[in-house]
Amino acid sequence: MKPTNVIVWLAAAFCGLFISNAFAQKPIELEFPSWQIEEAGAGEYWTELIKAFEAKHPNVKIRKQQVPFREYVDKLTVRFAGNNPPDIVHLPTRNFIAFASQNWLSPLDADLASTDVKATYTKLADEMNYEGKTYGVLMMGYGMMFYYNEKMLSDAKVGIPKTSDELLKAIAATTDANAGRFGWGAPTNEHPNVFVEISTWVTGEGASLFKGNQYNFTDPAVIKAVDKFRAAVKNAPKGTSSEQARQLFIDGKIAMLRDGPWVAAALKKAPDATKPYLKMGMMPFAKIPGGTSNSLHIPAKIDPEKRKLVWEFIRMTTTPEWQSKFTLLTSSPAPRRNALSPADLAAHPEIALVNKAAAESVNLFPEAVAVRENYNEFAKIFVESGLKLITSDRPTADIMRDLQSEMTKRVPAK
Amino acid sequence: MTARRKRLSPAARRERVFAYSLLMPAVLAVFALIAYPMYLVFSISFREGKSLNFLALDRRPLGFGNYDYVLNDSATWHSVYVSLVYTFGTIIPAFAIGLLTALLLNRVFPFRRWLRSLILLPWAVPGVMVSIIFVWLFDAQFGVVNYLLRSAGLITSDIAWYTTESTALFAVIVPTLWKSYPFFTLTLLAAMQSIPGHLYEAARVDGASMWQRFRHITWPGIRSPATLALVLNGLWVFREFDIIFAATGGGPAKATETLGIRAYNEAFGYFYMGRASVIGVLMLAIALAAVFIARRQLRKEFF
Repeated sequence: MKPTNVIVWLAAAFCGLFISNAFAQKPIELEFPSWQIEEAGAGEYWTELIKAFEAKHPNVKIRKQQVPFREYVDKLTVRFAGNNPPDIVHLPTRNFIAFASQNWLSPLDADLASTDVKATYTKLADEMNYEGKTYGVLMMGYGMMFYYNEKMLSDAKVGIPKTSDELLKAIAATTDANAGRFGWGAPTNEHPNVFVEISTWVTGEGASLFKGNQYNFTDPAVIKAVDKFRAAVKNAPKGTSSEQARQLFIDGKIAMLRDGPWVAAALKKAPDATKPYLKMGMMPFAKIPGGTSNSLHIPAKIDPEKRKLVWEFIRMTTTPEWQSKFTLLTSSPAPRRNALSPADLAAHPEIALVNKAAAESVNLFPEAVAVRENYNEFAKIFVESGLKLITSDRPTADIMRDLQSEMTKRVPAK
Repeated sequence: MTARRKRLSPAARRERVFAYSLLMPAVLAVFALIAYPMYLVFSISFREGKSLNFLALDRRPLGFGNYDYVLNDSATWHSVYVSLVYTFGTIIPAFAIGLLTALLLNRVFPFRRWLRSLILLPWAVPGVMVSIIFVWLFDAQFGVVNYLLRSAGLITSDIAWYTTESTALFAVIVPTLWKSYPFFTLTLLAAMQSIPGHLYEAARVDGASMWQRFRHITWPGIRSPATLALVLNGLWVFREFDIIFAATGGGPAKATETLGIRAYNEAFGYFYMGRASVIGVLMLAIALAAVFIARRQLRKEFF
């Protein structure tokens, strides 16, 4: 063989080695969209978890992507419908059955068999079951918390409310809209949490929007509770989302707020002018509304190698170490029982309050499978009427009657 | 006796083939970008049921159920009403503002060129950006509109423009109007500048007032482009989506749910692709009806 040919062949072989090596080393990327990436507390948790996971798997990169909560489920649904799901599926648990019912999620029973999740998680973890299979791992179940600005209450000469009637009086007393101060914070624009806000008041008053497999929107107890919601929200800033309401509370413009325990992590980063006065307590309601918050899943359509990695990522979240970190970073109850050591609990008294609320909570989300399978549509229709309750003067009974009629037609409960 | 069809010479045949082959890219583009999507919309409109798998739409059962549901749903006719109010509520004032600014820019004065660029700027701003700007301007707590109205004593408490049913439609018409009027300005100004100046001089000499000069010289000179601009801009506004979607999403309580928004909600909110396609067909029918009504005027002006 001519020397030039030998050189050419050697060069080609070297290039081939280099190229194949480069391909072999090309990192695997796992896509992870979530509404929590930039949230105080939860954002830090995900960042630390991803860092630890990538340290264990140097050839894997997890690409986080922040998606606003208001559009999150719609965007994810379109991706699944277009056969392009993300690798790590993070869902509000209220929506997961809608995804599972479309065979979009991979059952995890075989994977969970090698963990202690079934033995160590609270009963709330059963919410991940659908038609006899488990489709996800619960990240959090919670009870609603009551956040208040001590200074705004004392300036208005009202005490911390202990009942819903006292709450309404305190809301009215602390509102001065012309001065940009509001007694209550709530989502008051087209936002999925408008349903959560209304359901919180109804459940908190001991009523229920659902009666078995039927809608119960016209029940007198429900109407009375919704009237209280309307009275409260009259003193809330208009056109705000949940996120904006939280920020206005942190900035000292809103006196009181109901929200999940995760807001406590944001309070730690409040400005110095308001931080000392921002407190968390138990909801001043007869019942503590709550439910499951969010969960992790694996898409049914995924490359087998990626599936193994995604499961490994999810499995990491279930370990005692990361369950403890979750609670400490987000101030929210982890689904693993006794996730915190007694020493950690003593050092973080707010966690005890959060755990108490979670333990006493009554589910505010629909339980009928037919509704959960169409939760997104249910929530949109409910929010439309919610906006009428917030912005119009029509009688509550009329709006709820029309809502019941439309909901029964479009999203039958059985 | 029928005339015999003349046989084409080879040269004439080659010329014809060459002409058709030059037309072919345009024909293919029209087919790919207009005819085929239109066929798909019609075809999907007959596919009944919820369809969460976009790739399996052709497996849905065929029927007229979507047409029955959409055409008998009061929400559809509400959306038609909202679309018409939105369109006329935008086009009429946008035309008036466009005409006034064109008349202004047709005069000679210092910094005319700068003012012309400034007046035309809204047209270049993307719809979503326009929406974001006006959402802040009309914000219930921190918006400058509420501040100015309160300072002027016109209101005593802040108005939640985008979340109150009675004001939301007005609040989305305003940004659309702001974005639409430059097209009228541009079109009418170009038409005005083609009117011979000596006509105005002669009219002035004859003692014609400003209104008479406008009525007898300006308006006849700009009527044709004005008609076309009204039809085109009307159709664009009728199918407007991004400004409304970014500002209100069709809410509150369907107050701003035009047909375009409704089609989006049916397709990507509730996943009834068939119903969304029926709304698309309805929009097409309304647009064709509008062009049909305007055709006489258009034909008179242009053909």
